[in-house]
Amino acid sequence: MKNTVIALLGNPNVGKTSLFNRITKLHQHVGNYPGITVEKREGYVKANGKTYTVIDLPGTYTLFPTSLDEEIVFNSLANKESLSFPDLVVVVAEPNNIKRSVILYQQARELGVPAIFVINMIDELAAKGLEIDYQKLEAYLGTKVLTTDARNGKGIQELVQAFDIRPSHHLSRFIADGQYKEALDDAKKLFPLSTEYQTWQFLAQEHVSFISLEQRRRLVEIRNHHNISGNQLQKWEAMQRNAQVERDIANVVLVKENLHVSKTNHIDKILLHPVWGYVIFFLLLFILFQLVFTLSAPIMDWIDEHFAAFVDLTAASLPEGPISDLITQGILAGIGGIVIFVPQIAILFLLVSLMEETGYMSRVVFLMDRWLRPYGLNGKSVIPLMSGVGCAVPAIMAARNIENTKERLITMLVTPFMTCAARLPIYVVLIALVIPNNTFLGFGLQGLVLNLLYILGVVAALLSAWVLNKIVKSNHKSFLIFELPSYKTPDWRNVTNNVWDKTSGFLFGAGKIILAMAIVLWVLGNFGPNDRFNEAERYVTEANPDLSEADLSEEIASFKLEHSFLGYIGMGIEPIVAPLGYDWKMGIGLVSSFAAREVFVGTMATVYSLGEDVDIEDDEQKQTLLSKMKSEINRNTGQPAYNLASGISLLLFYAFAMQCMSTIAIMKRETGSWKWTAIQTCMMTGIAYVLALVVYQLMK
Amino acid sequence: MQKSFTLDILKVGDVAKISELNATELPAKFFEMGLLPGCTIEVRHKAPFNGPIGLHLLGSNSLVAIRKSEAAHIFVER
Repeated sequence: MKNTVIALLGNPNVGKTSLFNRITKLHQHVGNYPGITVEKREGYVKANGKTYTVIDLPGTYTLFPTSLDEEIVFNSLANKESLSFPDLVVVVAEPNNIKRSVILYQQARELGVPAIFVINMIDELAAKGLEIDYQKLEAYLGTKVLTTDARNGKGIQELVQAFDIRPSHHLSRFIADGQYKEALDDAKKLFPLSTEYQTWQFLAQEHVSFISLEQRRRLVEIRNHHNISGNQLQKWEAMQRNAQVERDIANVVLVKENLHVSKTNHIDKILLHPVWGYVIFFLLLFILFQLVFTLSAPIMDWIDEHFAAFVDLTAASLPEGPISDLITQGILAGIGGIVIFVPQIAILFLLVSLMEETGYMSRVVFLMDRWLRPYGLNGKSVIPLMSGVGCAVPAIMAARNIENTKERLITMLVTPFMTCAARLPIYVVLIALVIPNNTFLGFGLQGLVLNLLYILGVVAALLSAWVLNKIVKSNHKSFLIFELPSYKTPDWRNVTNNVWDKTSGFLFGAGKIILAMAIVLWVLGNFGPNDRFNEAERYVTEANPDLSEADLSEEIASFKLEHSFLGYIGMGIEPIVAPLGYDWKMGIGLVSSFAAREVFVGTMATVYSLGEDVDIEDDEQKQTLLSKMKSEINRNTGQPAYNLASGISLLLFYAFAMQCMSTIAIMKRETGSWKWTAIQTCMMTGIAYVLALVVYQLMK
Repeated sequence: MQKSFTLDILKVGDVAKISELNATELPAKFFEMGLLPGCTIEVRHKAPFNGPIGLHLLGSNSLVAIRKSEAAHIFVER
């Protein structure tokens, strides 16, 4: 039997997610709504002798969608065919703004879904100087009204017990009269089975995804015939409802005095200050990145050490042969490359979700909007761009709450330019190779170059946004309206939950691709098309009969690689990368790291026959790899393969090129379009190629 | 005497009542978030160099931020 479906509906910042976590006791998972890309948070709770499925709908002020998140809400409640169509909606309100929640409640009821009303954060009622007459409110809404406080768990049990309540028929208070009545009557003929309000919603929205094309066309005709627009109807409804609800609840919710905003106002005087606001923001940003790197370093070392030991142990316990090689050098090395990033990503998201939970993130939007607008971005783009320093995959997902489709698209297109954690190992190796370890104005030159690369990422993101802004067409005017919620101490359940979601998303999502690629690479590198690979030993001994034992085995290894599938691929693309100053071995690195940048270092290690598990944190191993790479000669130019020119060229290539399959996959998912995914990949790799080419040709 | 201004010229600390919104320029979301004719607002914050404006809506007791360019389409009176 199908579980009873309960949907939580409410404005942003009413503590809906805290409530969701309390109800489900974290028995939940994040999936996707069928066909589209928005995360669906779903949980389970056993009570009253059955199991309920609880859905946490995205926060919204109204059922008329202006962003992707809000479209989900409407589709879930209005489309009876949808899998997430609820048996009962729980409308979550907070004491401060009951009016807005009542409007949302009425909209849901008039669409035809049963609903109960919950006032969360009830402990703040007195502090906010409010009083509520619950009996009057229940009579007015025609449903059960409950109170909860998700932070301490008050009222949660009562709420779960109320999941079987099905309120009686709802009398619509909203009547489309006068000027819009005829249009609505025409529209009703199209939807004989829908409620009046549902039909009104169809009429007032330009794009309802689940009705037929024919119905959509007829709706456009009706709107044109009566000379009305959807926007006009939505505004009219907002005004009608607001005026009515304000009148109706005047003696239900009594405002004694306004106490609560003053604390927030005091904090805002500093945090939104025209000067100090920015100083504090950049200071926080600086501390954030410092923490991400310093806190994660010891954990990464620990993982590295133990993982290497684990790989050795596995290698020792398996019989030697290709299977053992595949497991240790292919699969385990691949997993190691993913796990190593987990601390950084977890810490980044811990700090970011703290900023969101406290309410500071909307202040950042307030401060930054003016500086991002000229580039065709939006204050809300700050969050994706900042998260992009960790990993572009969750960062692109964070662009969802940008209402304007054009600004959302541009934000997603430029976010991968930000220097993500996966670029760091490459930068570290390449900088150590080609940048002298001198000081410049008292700062280490190598550190300065690293900083420069981070700045380059930001500049590239902004400049390309500026260009894209000129090219991409927009049907909608850009606008920005958002609430600055009052400051709160973070709910740690929400924070830990969020960190887990994002980190495990990276671990399992990106991890799959990196792992698959590691295996493919291993196969390509360990098999060859002809007997030069299979009988490498014979060829090498014939060519160099007087080599010592050690040199011989090294020579055989690189001869094998040269004649493996991977080697042939590398040599195949050599003509393309030669103008950039790379040889076929670097070509292999580029091809293999197309799956994920971090693969580059591992591949280089294979190419220079050191075994896959080179540990870049381990000084001795790093020196071995570095000295191998340093002594490498590019056989086309006769110069060292990693000189200043080719090194800078390679750094630039990695700074710009779309070398990440996970990002490509997430772009396809989020934009729903191969076109924009392809444009982004071509744009990034194109810029990377041209820049690397120009710089190399100028510097060589 | 009541005078009509656009909201963007108000200074921090000014209190005014919204008299009219230019409905063709502003999306419905402004109405839905409580910026409606008759609603009293106080300008609480202004980001520098013509950045966003933070408005305290007295009726619904919430703080809402909009861009200056949008504030120019909202008419207020004192």
